Amino acid sequence: MPKRSMSSVFLNGIVTENPTFRLVLGLCPTLAVTTSAINGVGMGLAATVVLIGSNVVISLLRNIIPNKVRIPAFIVVICTFVTLIQMLMQAFVYELYESLGLFIPLIVVNCIILARAEAFACKNGVLASALDGIGMGVGFTIALTLIAAIRELIGNGTVFGLNLLGDAYEPMLIMILPAGGFITLGLLLGIINKLTEVTAGKKEA
Amino acid sequence: MKLTVSTAPHVHSHNSTRRIMLDVIIALLPAAGVGIYLFGYMAGLHVLIGMGAAVLVEYLWQKLTKQAVRVNDFSAALTGLLLALNMPVDAPLWVTAMGSVVAIILVKQLFGGIGGNFLNPALAARALLVASWPAHMTAFTAPTYFAATDAVSSATPLVTQYGYMELFMGRIPGTIGEVCKLAIIVGFLYLLIRGVITWHIPVLLLGTLAFCTWLFGGTDGAFTGDPLYAVLSGGAMFGAVFMATDYTTSPMTIKGEVIYAIGCGLLIALIREFGSYTEGVTYAILIMNIVTPLLDKYIGPNLYGEVKKRA
Amino acid sequence: MFCLPKSSFRGGVHPLHDIGGGKLPTRAEPIRAYSPDTVAIPMAMHLGAPAVPIVNKGDRVKIGQLIGEAQHPRSLAVHASVSGEVIAIEQRMQLGANPALCVVIRNDFADEWVDGLKGYGNVEEADPALIVPAIRDAGICGMGGATFPTHVKLTPPPGKQCNTVILNAAECETHMTCDHRLMLERPVKIIDGLRAAMRAVGAARGVIAIEDNKPDAAKRMSETARGRKGVEVAMLRTKYPQGSEKQIIKAVTNREVPSGGLPIDIGVIVINVATAAAIADAVIDGRPLISRITTVTGHVKVPSNLELPIGTVVQDAITACDGYSDAPAKIIMGGGMTGFCAHDDSISIAKGSGGIVVLNEREAALVDEAPCIRCARCVSTCPAGLNPYLIRRMCDRDDMDGAEQEHVMDCLLCGCCSYICPAHRFLTATFKITKERIAQSRRK
Repeated sequence: MPKRSMSSVFLNGIVTENPTFRLVLGLCPTLAVTTSAINGVGMGLAATVVLIGSNVVISLLRNIIPNKVRIPAFIVVICTFVTLIQMLMQAFVYELYESLGLFIPLIVVNCIILARAEAFACKNGVLASALDGIGMGVGFTIALTLIAAIRELIGNGTVFGLNLLGDAYEPMLIMILPAGGFITLGLLLGIINKLTEVTAGKKEA
Repeated sequence: MKLTVSTAPHVHSHNSTRRIMLDVIIALLPAAGVGIYLFGYMAGLHVLIGMGAAVLVEYLWQKLTKQAVRVNDFSAALTGLLLALNMPVDAPLWVTAMGSVVAIILVKQLFGGIGGNFLNPALAARALLVASWPAHMTAFTAPTYFAATDAVSSATPLVTQYGYMELFMGRIPGTIGEVCKLAIIVGFLYLLIRGVITWHIPVLLLGTLAFCTWLFGGTDGAFTGDPLYAVLSGGAMFGAVFMATDYTTSPMTIKGEVIYAIGCGLLIALIREFGSYTEGVTYAILIMNIVTPLLDKYIGPNLYGEVKKRA
Repeated sequence: MFCLPKSSFRGGVHPLHDIGGGKLPTRAEPIRAYSPDTVAIPMAMHLGAPAVPIVNKGDRVKIGQLIGEAQHPRSLAVHASVSGEVIAIEQRMQLGANPALCVVIRNDFADEWVDGLKGYGNVEEADPALIVPAIRDAGICGMGGATFPTHVKLTPPPGKQCNTVILNAAECETHMTCDHRLMLERPVKIIDGLRAAMRAVGAARGVIAIEDNKPDAAKRMSETARGRKGVEVAMLRTKYPQGSEKQIIKAVTNREVPSGGLPIDIGVIVINVATAAAIADAVIDGRPLISRITTVTGHVKVPSNLELPIGTVVQDAITACDGYSDAPAKIIMGGGMTGFCAHDDSISIAKGSGGIVVLNEREAALVDEAPCIRCARCVSTCPAGLNPYLIRRMCDRDDMDGAEQEHVMDCLLCGCCSYICPAHRFLTATFKITKERIAQSRRK
């Protein structure tokens, strides 16, 4: 693997390989919990913490874990962090914990985390892995918050609970229903693809 | 001497996308007219807003994305009209306009414009409106025709019993276009005569619906349902004639159409009898729209001279 | 003799006759002979290797004299169609702007036939083994438009037996009435030709297949066929492309030619009416193919059915109809559904040219394509049972393998899908190019 600068490792997760918009990974929480901006942020941050922790630990253990059993080993590490996060959230942000519900334990099988463990952490040093985890986590959080904010705004007239559109606005309920998640994600993916196409065209020209 | 050189054929049947869309619009005029007569001028406003918004949005989108502007093929106008006729008259006008925007942008243009959509635009927009503003979309008013001063909201005609004649002539609560079955049949006959659609989808859809309702739609066990009531109530007939027959979202072969129509009829009966919605035409047709590519993939026309393999 | 019940095939269209009047202006026009001042006879008028000229500039030739020799079993001989002097042997642009070697003869109007032509007098008495050589020497090819050498068609490959010869008298193409007129005016010759073909291949049954829009021709043929061994008349539904080989076989025998196969695989040979008449001339009198009947219609002053010497230039044929009645914008060689466009009116009438249709500017206007709306009209009209919309989508993606899997090679290029398409999509044109590309890559 070619040497990359630390800043490019960090930015990689936010822009070039944004887990949601470029890699299209971890769609289950992306679609399910983004009904309000606060849920999006909470989910994103929870995943980020797990991602950093698991990346660091797996990077440390990368020369010890036998190749044949690496996936179960990764899962065990990830599980540990997810359990930690779950208990912490239950203790300190109970309301958010309640609204995210099942999707917190499901972070265990979130493919972003496993993908970073497999594709990055088990091949790179601790610092790089930590940065990768932060980058990916931040990218994921931004994506989730963006989707959630759009859905909350149109589907409920609010963002982070703030009423932005006035009382006369009749919310378009479908946006906070599952179908709205698909519609928003699809439109954002389309717009981002179009924008990358435009910038790529400019670079070539 | 300057001569045009082009490939065969040099003659053409003179039918065009525009002509077909215009024919469907003409076929919808009786239903729209009766709707306006029964529900008053507001129904007319819904039609105008629906069609106007659809055409305007399509024009703007095509200008914005630098495509050839094709609003003159009347397909956007048709979508707007279909959507408006699927609205309850008491819904706010902005809901109809919103529906047209959704139908044209989200369902049609984003999937490649005319011919590219995998769902019927008017129906998908209606489903989205029902999910978004359920209160507006399910408040059915009895037509002013027979309750001139006291227009009260009531349950859909699927819940309350009406006489067959009232159902047939449209003196029932419902959406603007679906109430008068006579007008729909007139439109159906026009489409048949003009060769725009074949009888297969509407007849088989309604036949399946009638049979299934008869089979399991009754309260006293099997074969006690009321097939005629099932066909005449709700949006079954409007959906069968104008929605399920949409070219783009129905199968390409007659065999495929038969399966598609039977599937629609069966799903309508199932949703009506066992689902939590009282009306299932929209969802039944949308589900079969999604099945259509599959039907096209596996049910092709009979190839001339195909060597049949013996089993 | 009896009439079979009306039968047909799946799909097809009923072309409108609104461009250039369709068949109406010429269907009552008797065949009229016309001889031009000069003829330019192309050496390549058939499917196969061109003939090689054996005359020189300045030679005097008589009608029926061999001027181009077939040097290959699938090539065909070419004969002088008028008597006179060879004034040039040169390349001239022919259909599709392809240059072809032409022998140009100035007509001396002496109408002098070459000596030594000898036929067998009667088709029923001719030795069956000598019929095919006579046809070959007369230079006869399929005159319905495909121009496949007839002697090759009438020589079934080893192990294949022909039991039915179908005489293709459907004339389903728009505008053309030459076969119709031929049946009304020369029925005996046609049936003689059919009998000769039947005897040559040993077929017991000969069916004259006529579309039911020509009841007068069917009646004339039935009367004439009375007493002729194994000959019957079948009425077919009027529908395009009823006269396509595979479709007429389906209509007459209710059997389908296997995909990729030939009619002989199910024991059938199809020949055109005009070809049958030419066969009769060759067998009875030993006359080579030197003239053909061509319908000249559209925007000409007197739409006509002309009997023209092979090699007549389109311009002269138009002159025989008193000239153009409107500024010509498109000249179709053949009918409206499958004809080819002439780039100029200087090209020659070949053995397979059954029609000349002149269109004016309004009728020749091209219409732009619109997107496919999946109306399924192309699927329901395709007589080959293809999915034209799907094949077109694959062609647009340059997916030749996909197009081949969707059986584009079974496409007849009949034009039904393009004719019916409300979005005016260039379906047939795309399939033609695709078929050529696939055929080319197969040859490699």
